[in-house]
Amino acid sequence: MSAPVKSVSASAGNGPAPGATRAVHTVAKLIDTSTCIGCKACEVACQEWNDQPFTIGAFEGTYQTLPDLAPNFWNLIKFREREENGNLAWLMAKYQCMHCVDPGCLRACPAPGAIVQYGNGIVDFNSENCIGCGYCMTGCPFDVPKLDQKTKKVHKCTLCSDRVSVGLEPACIKACPTNCLSFGTREDLLAKADARVAALQADGRKGAGIYNPSGVGGTHVVYILAHAGYPENYGLPRDPTIPWTVALWKGPLKWIGNMVLLGGILGTFFHYVRYGPRRYKDVSE
Amino acid sequence: MSPNNPQVNRFSLAERVTHWLVALSFLYAALTGLALWSPRLYWLATMFGGGTTVRGWHPWGGVAFAAFFAVMFRRWRRQMALDGDDRRWLRLAHRYAVHEEAGLPEAGRFNAGQKALFWMQGTALLLLVASGVVLWWPEAMPRALRLAAVLLHPVVAVVSIAGLIVHIYMGTAAVPEAFRGMIQGWVRPGWAASHHPKWYREVRGR
Ligand code: HEM
Ligand code: SF4
Repeated sequence: MSAPVKSVSASAGNGPAPGATRAVHTVAKLIDTSTCIGCKACEVACQEWNDQPFTIGAFEGTYQTLPDLAPNFWNLIKFREREENGNLAWLMAKYQCMHCVDPGCLRACPAPGAIVQYGNGIVDFNSENCIGCGYCMTGCPFDVPKLDQKTKKVHKCTLCSDRVSVGLEPACIKACPTNCLSFGTREDLLAKADARVAALQADGRKGAGIYNPSGVGGTHVVYILAHAGYPENYGLPRDPTIPWTVALWKGPLKWIGNMVLLGGILGTFFHYVRYGPRRYKDVSE
Repeated sequence: MSPNNPQVNRFSLAERVTHWLVALSFLYAALTGLALWSPRLYWLATMFGGGTTVRGWHPWGGVAFAAFFAVMFRRWRRQMALDGDDRRWLRLAHRYAVHEEAGLPEAGRFNAGQKALFWMQGTALLLLVASGVVLWWPEAMPRALRLAAVLLHPVVAVVSIAGLIVHIYMGTAAVPEAFRGMIQGWVRPGWAASHHPKWYREVRGR
């Protein structure tokens, strides 16, 4: 994709300076869980468009296709059953990469160019630069990237960067029969989400709200939840942030470590300059 | 030891081979690890066959290092035990560093600094193996362990590599002729008498 770039993994400096590239609209996907019927059309469309073979999993007594995302399965409807005021609440929520504004995967990645965040907000993995270390799996607060054991490459949802770059909407959006999924500029969709939440609340859904977690700077995949106070009921983390050990490791620790190593090299060198070699007196036998 | 070419045997062939296997495997693990430590050092990955190769082989370099170190550990652990003199030496190490050696306890076959490095690198190795295994198969490890390992592994590696820098400096420029001891296996009597007097008296007495 030849779109303007915002940041690139493991590269000195953090992408182009402001104004250096054309400003583009940031895009987003809006998931209105209140209108999801669990048909899995989006799962199929994702597999089809990305030309992924389907993996048969074990039946676990729910409608959920697989227990978790997989290297060749990037879009999962999570089915959750709960009791609510004596009634069954059947919650369904599409799960995939959140395309974080501040992506932990990109922060953790040691391979230059393996993870790129485009100006439009899409976070994409470039397999040709991926070395398979799995650091992104630890950096991601949503446990999204999955390592393919055969190819030793990590994969996840691309937000259909290939389709978006030529002006198409992502495959999952295209397939959704209920308009539960929509795609557009992030600004438009956040406004649309506000309106929809207001409508749900007017309809008696007092707990309705938006899931756009600020701990990762917001996301380019935004949810409308009927019970916004309980995101974990939908399989979404409550307060996702880049883990502090990852932030410390990729932040201050690099500087401290580099100072220690450079200090060691310069320190021993100048020790020699100041004190020279350790001499000895010969002894005659 | 002949008068014309006086040599004191310092390290046996087995000791030298073990030492250099430890050194080479450590260097390989350290350089391939550093390749991923900073984007500015990623050229090291290119030198060692590319990022994917480095990712695949670095852990094996670490395993080799652990295995060779285990051999070295068995051989040297008793000689590396710190005695009372060594502890006093360590308290006065700052004076050793600036070549004011008067009043320092005499060193045996290894001085207290060498012994301390041995134990430090042994401890570092245990921590590197433990955290390295977690990084090796991230998909099979609980998240909490991975979050600890991404911090622990590089912290210990940096301390350990800093120790290595000092060790290389001491073994080459700082103490002339020490290097020959580890390559060819012998040192001159005067070298032994002034750097390792207790040991020198021992081997002369034999
Ligand atoms: C059995 C021992 C070891 C194992 C299993 C191990 C494993 C790993 C793994 C899986 C990684 C992730 C990336 C990669 O594979 O290159 C890593 C990174 C690293 N390793 Fe090791 N390692 C071991 C020993 C060592 C040693 C002896 C050193 C050097 C003193 C070292 C230094 C590093 C460094 C500097 C990194 C990069 C950390 C970062 O990205 O911040 N490792 N190690
Ligand atoms: S959800 Fe995970 S993989 Fe996706 S952008 Fe955020 S940190 Fe990266």
